[in-house]
Amino acid sequence: MPILDQGYQHWNGQLRGHAWRWLTISRQGARAQLKNRWVWVTIIGACLPAFILSGFLVLWGLFEQKSSLLTPLLFLFQGLPEELRAGPRGYRTTFWTLAFNQFLDIQLFFAMALVLLVGPELISQDLRFNAMPLYFARPVRRLDYFTGKLGVIAAYLGAIMVVPVLLAFGIGFAFSLDPLVFRDTWRVLVASLAYGAVVVLSAGTLMLAISSLSRNSRFVGAIWIGLWVVSGVASTVLNQTIHKEWCPLLSYTANLTRMRDAMLDSQTSWDKVAALFQAGQNQLRQAARPNPFQRRSGRANFSVGPPPPPAPPTAGGSSATNARGPWQTSSYPWQWSAAVLAGLGVLSVWILATRVRSVDRLR
Amino acid sequence: MLIELDGVTKTYGKVAALRGLSVTLPEGSIGLLGPNGAGKTTMIRSLLGLIALDAGSGRVLGMDIRTSRMDIRQSVGFVPEDECLFPAVMGVQFVAYAGELVGMQSRDALQRAHEVLDYVGLGEARYRRVESYSSGMKQRLKIASAIVHDPRLLILDEPTNGMDPAGREEILALARDLSHAKGMSLVFSSHLLPDVEAVCEDVVVLGRGRLLAQGRIDALKQPHDRQFEVRVKGDQLAFAGRLAARGIDAAPTDDHLLVQLPEGTRSTVLWETADQAGEQLRALRPRRSTLEEIFLSALAEQD
Repeated sequence: MPILDQGYQHWNGQLRGHAWRWLTISRQGARAQLKNRWVWVTIIGACLPAFILSGFLVLWGLFEQKSSLLTPLLFLFQGLPEELRAGPRGYRTTFWTLAFNQFLDIQLFFAMALVLLVGPELISQDLRFNAMPLYFARPVRRLDYFTGKLGVIAAYLGAIMVVPVLLAFGIGFAFSLDPLVFRDTWRVLVASLAYGAVVVLSAGTLMLAISSLSRNSRFVGAIWIGLWVVSGVASTVLNQTIHKEWCPLLSYTANLTRMRDAMLDSQTSWDKVAALFQAGQNQLRQAARPNPFQRRSGRANFSVGPPPPPAPPTAGGSSATNARGPWQTSSYPWQWSAAVLAGLGVLSVWILATRVRSVDRLR
Repeated sequence: MLIELDGVTKTYGKVAALRGLSVTLPEGSIGLLGPNGAGKTTMIRSLLGLIALDAGSGRVLGMDIRTSRMDIRQSVGFVPEDECLFPAVMGVQFVAYAGELVGMQSRDALQRAHEVLDYVGLGEARYRRVESYSSGMKQRLKIASAIVHDPRLLILDEPTNGMDPAGREEILALARDLSHAKGMSLVFSSHLLPDVEAVCEDVVVLGRGRLLAQGRIDALKQPHDRQFEVRVKGDQLAFAGRLAARGIDAAPTDDHLLVQLPEGTRSTVLWETADQAGEQLRALRPRRSTLEEIFLSALAEQD
């Protein structure tokens, strides 16, 4: 088609203000990443733990109501301590906390993987293709640019960490048929959402900073893997060799985990569960011990058929020098991890401010 | 006034890119000329508020370049010299994205993207990925994304760099049409003089960060008193010989003779010579400076 054939019409539309300019960048970035099938695979994979969490909360709600729907599954509950079976509502907060804690623990892996898939291109591609003038020659501030790019990561991490938490909470609330459930568990919701925000902000700014360091996205991805996997391995190896309390601080994900434990106060819940199961096991031992002088009427009809309760987790026995079980949180203060993450955040902002300096440079 | 700069100074370390540049430019199409390193790109960046000035002030479309940066960028379209196209995006998506970045609603931006792509001649390539575009197509795509919001002022930084003759001519035609037929003011930065001459009415010549010359191209191209372009019906070389016999220098240039009259001689001598030779004068006009001469003399004055 010859040039200029179509003429040119003037446009008199209204231009929006600057407040939501970042959203345009986020939307475009998020849309572009959807073309990557590995992103889809990761998101779908991350849905599985969300289904399990929701399923657990549904079961718990029915268990609280002693619903007849659970009759086919009664064998699952027979091994539980008597106190728990008698009054599950008293352990509602505890089990909800642990359920969300475990869910978020698994999602951290998917979050790191998703950041690896989505993040490297965000700034490095713009540097590689000299696309900065596309943004900064238009009414886009650096803050809009960074916020927009961070929004891409936030959208994906939100999809696997925040949205499932909200949905699962809603499902659990609905199946509990008890308005008091909100009073008992709102802290779990808030802590989970706050943890999601910490992961988004920390991983997002860190990935953007790394992405601004190189024009080659593969290098950026390699640096991220190093930060994620290598720092974790290094931390573990050091932990097993020099046995210092600060060793987990070397691992990026261990710091995030420590923050999650602190936010959800999961140690208290683990301790409570440990005490519950310990009491249950003691009761069983007492019931099994022959005592001709003391018969407990409550145990006279105790069935020996159900399996014994599981061995209780060791409460308070955690040590940074030992391999941690899921019931053991790190013993060092959470403020140390907060300081490490804050330091990484400040470093990331400084790198971004230095590396992406509008187009004010001499070529 | 379209652009007013007053004592604008910008240095990068020890390198002074602009040294107290003061210039006032009217609406219309303005060519920004200068050798490499003259400060053209820095001047454009200062107009857009992309750089922090060391000293001086200025206004673009009546808006202060220090305090109204965002408003200026919203009212101006900029076609950078760099390619600045990222891959895996269709042409129409790229232009719509550029429109949204300026502040257009998504639907408006998309509709307008289709219109301007038709206008720049990329209508049939709108759904192709931008990495498959040729250099000329990419340049037109950049122009489309710069005019998607119908700016009052369009700034083009070296728009014909590295283009083949056909593509270059298309870009020049496009710029000319925008400026002359569509009422859009233009700042056309280039070191290619014919390109500036083909598009612009006014010119600004920069050298080492300073203003060397400025004005309307027609006015700058002054007629010379004793130099004439002469075309005859018959043998030009023979006519040049007759002029030489009278002590007049005449050099064949293209389809005419470039005649230099000696001091104190008037143009009637050309008629007399033609009359004596039985020759017919087909054209006789005072020679005007070319833009190249203006440019070179401005640079020479600077040195």
